[in-house]
Amino acid sequence: MSGPETNPPPPLIDRRYIFGLLFRLCANFAGGVAILFVILYLALSRPLPWDYAGVSHALRNLAPFLRPVLAVSVLVYALLACGSTAALCVYILHKVAGPLYRMDLVLDQYRSGAPTRTVSFRNGDQIQPVAQAFNQWIGTLRRDRHRWLATMKDAERHCLQDEATCRAKMEDGLRKVAEDMKRYH
Amino acid sequence: MKNPAPQPSRPRIRYISPRFQGPAVLAFAAIISIGGAIFWKLVDSEFQRVFLDAAIRGHYTFDSAYDIVRALLASHLAGLFAGVFLAGSVLVLFLIAATRHGISKAVDSLRSSADGDLSTPTGAGLIGEVDRFGRKIDAARSDTLDSVLKIRSEVEALAAGGIPPGEFRLRWDDLKQRIREIAP
Repeated sequence: MSGPETNPPPPLIDRRYIFGLLFRLCANFAGGVAILFVILYLALSRPLPWDYAGVSHALRNLAPFLRPVLAVSVLVYALLACGSTAALCVYILHKVAGPLYRMDLVLDQYRSGAPTRTVSFRNGDQIQPVAQAFNQWIGTLRRDRHRWLATMKDAERHCLQDEATCRAKMEDGLRKVAEDMKRYH
Repeated sequence: MKNPAPQPSRPRIRYISPRFQGPAVLAFAAIISIGGAIFWKLVDSEFQRVFLDAAIRGHYTFDSAYDIVRALLASHLAGLFAGVFLAGSVLVLFLIAATRHGISKAVDSLRSSADGDLSTPTGAGLIGEVDRFGRKIDAARSDTLDSVLKIRSEVEALAAGGIPPGEFRLRWDDLKQRIREIAP
């Protein structure tokens, strides 16, 4: 007979997410370098003069002429690559930052004393075990709360009998609750 | 029968955590800028040398300047790509590792809270935003522990006896109300 099957907990950060991020970064940087190549190719591929003196003169003056062209093309590359990488970074890290932001709100709500709902993240969001661990903690607290209240209600039932029995059962119930609460430290 | 008017779709905000996403964006921008600056410096000095050499050599077998620097440009562009991508990958792996470390500490802290440990600090460290999240979890645990300890001392006080019946009943009802307020 086999025991109950339990699903393994999801990883904090999925391996596919990491590879996807690296692949997109690779494509992004490759795109940036391709744009830089195209700009430099257009600047460098202009035909040289046909005559010997013309070519010699053009080559001697080419390096100083290309300096600003090179600077501008590198600047264009840096701006494009930075812009697209920033957008990619914000988009991809949203899968981690989003759940963190949501947990922040849930913790604020919990501390304010408002009713706490079960937390679940969107499909594709990372750090899913945080929601599971939080739900587990709140679930344990609620079970303990129900048990303490049930112990007190059970003691109250004896109040239908005489006053002394009622009081003794209530104090007995309180001792049980106090003992149970000792696990919190 | 009229169809209900379509709800305007709310724009999705993706830049929600400036302290987490912002530094990552700046770090990538720094890598790209440094890569670009190194590329510019190297290629510029190579161009100064290569074109002058070609002019002095005097045997012109090329149609354009691109023919002269084709290999040089290709190797430097490949170097730029490899350098930026490798540095970016290291940054990504560092970010992932630091986030994973911090979040796993937060998860451990929440799991130990379920076992009753509400006082051991989370210590999520490394990344500011994750560390702040860890401290927020600690604050929530601390509030809970505070509330449980107060209830426990009241429970022990009531269980000790010697309280007049009228007062006992009032404090009993108050105690039940305070227990109901745990994890509402």
